[in-house]
Amino acid sequence: MSGLLYKNFCINRSSMIFTLVTAILCCLTLIFAALFGFTLRGVTPSPEEVPSLLTACSACYFLAFWLPSMASSTLFQADENKTCCAFAMSLPQGAKGHVEAKYYYILIQALGILFITFINDTILTAMLGGTVSTTAVLPFLFSLHLFLAAVEIPFMIRFGADRGLQIKGGVVLAVFAMAALYFLFGDISWFIENEDDPLGAFMAWLGSGDIIFWLSLFPYISIAAYYISCKISVKIYRKGAESYEQ
Amino acid sequence: MSSDKKLTVKRLVIFLVLAFLPFCIIVPVMWSYFGEPIYASENPDTAVANYCVSVFGMMVPSIAHLLTRLITKEGFKNTYLGLNTKGKMGYYAASVIVPLAYSSLSAVLVWAIFMSGSGFGDTFNNFNMQSIGLFLLQFAYSLIVFFPAFGEEWGWRGYMMPKLMELMPKPAAVIVGGIIWGLWHAPLTVAGHNFGVVYPGYPFVGIGLMCLLCTAMNAFMTLLTEKTKSIYPAAFVHAINNNLSMGVMFTFFSNEESMMKLGGLSAVEMFFPYIGVLAVIFIGSMILLMKKEA
Repeated sequence: MSGLLYKNFCINRSSMIFTLVTAILCCLTLIFAALFGFTLRGVTPSPEEVPSLLTACSACYFLAFWLPSMASSTLFQADENKTCCAFAMSLPQGAKGHVEAKYYYILIQALGILFITFINDTILTAMLGGTVSTTAVLPFLFSLHLFLAAVEIPFMIRFGADRGLQIKGGVVLAVFAMAALYFLFGDISWFIENEDDPLGAFMAWLGSGDIIFWLSLFPYISIAAYYISCKISVKIYRKGAESYEQ
Repeated sequence: MSSDKKLTVKRLVIFLVLAFLPFCIIVPVMWSYFGEPIYASENPDTAVANYCVSVFGMMVPSIAHLLTRLITKEGFKNTYLGLNTKGKMGYYAASVIVPLAYSSLSAVLVWAIFMSGSGFGDTFNNFNMQSIGLFLLQFAYSLIVFFPAFGEEWGWRGYMMPKLMELMPKPAAVIVGGIIWGLWHAPLTVAGHNFGVVYPGYPFVGIGLMCLLCTAMNAFMTLLTEKTKSIYPAAFVHAINNNLSMGVMFTFFSNEESMMKLGGLSAVEMFFPYIGVLAVIFIGSMILLMKKEA
């Protein structure tokens, strides 16, 4: 496995550098903003400024996680031909090792971004006198990154990177459209009790503590989805390889 | 002493000097800057400084590990950085389940010893969707705590313990390693970390208790590291241990009255039920460690 991982790091060196540079740039933006906005002036953010700073930090960290996923297709494009696939399947680890190495690569990449953003947030917390900390958001961004990868990768493996992304986009759009139709015209009494004022009932549900429980499940669902996605990708790899060009 | 052992001792000494030095300098400097023991202060600036010292301080053993390998030209063999999950998933599962179990069990023991006046159901009556959700969120936060925890583990279990086990039998290495690990915390303990500064025998009792705690935990963590030849299970244990202590269990699942009672107890008092549970884990881990040796 370590050999396959090493191969992935070698052939994706430029995307790895892109990932690190974007993550560091996003973090440096916040550091400079805090430095010139507060630290050098010798002030700490006022309570009115804190919510906007929290939003800015979360947005920058979101970008740090999201921008590298834009280059995720390059990870698969490099091996997307029959020769590479035949070679991968002839290895002792077979298709399983080849696909799992890609999943490990993305996981390591996400952990790297999580580490950079965490260190940045700790420094930022110190610079702003403890008034602003978004560390609690980071596990969610990490989970979101894994969840999106879990949805995306099987499509890219089955249909190729470019076509796979298009098909994934179509499927996700269809699922959202169906969900929207269901919530508009379907029976939602199991979800919202007061159907006369669904918006009010929804806001009341948001305000209740119960939402914390459903939110807290997201990291665990993401990890499970990532694991299941890996198993599915291993199964469909051979079929996908048949459709690749020579 | 053979030349191999001499080299191991030399490497170990360099590692320990590099690992111990930062806290021995930073903590007294911060103490004199803030004018009080930093971990017992109520000054908000001190709280921020403590957080940063904890996060970056926990990474010092890893940096010491890295530097020692570079200084002594040891190379990067046996770094324990591989996963080695094949046939070892039980140890990985134990690295998550055991710390959760001993935190819960020590919370139950704290209730049994100090709050027996009120029933178990009355004390832990806060089992609703919100508190379970908060607990799950805190558990997910272990992902963040994993980084500093890894920082310590790659130094202690990933470098110090294998070196100690080259020099002495495993049981002795576990005890010596635990005491060294406990002493590494000494500057923090003196500054009020874990036990505060108001307890009988301050600070020596606190340092002694920390050595006891570290020895007990060292046995379990060394067992996991040696069985898997990987540092990650020990880092999981450390992360969950730091993130979900028994106090956290009380915060999520008990009522306000119990929290008041808990607040009235000193950290040293609460320590004994905790070390009682860890003693069982220590004995079990030592048996399993020695079993392989026989």
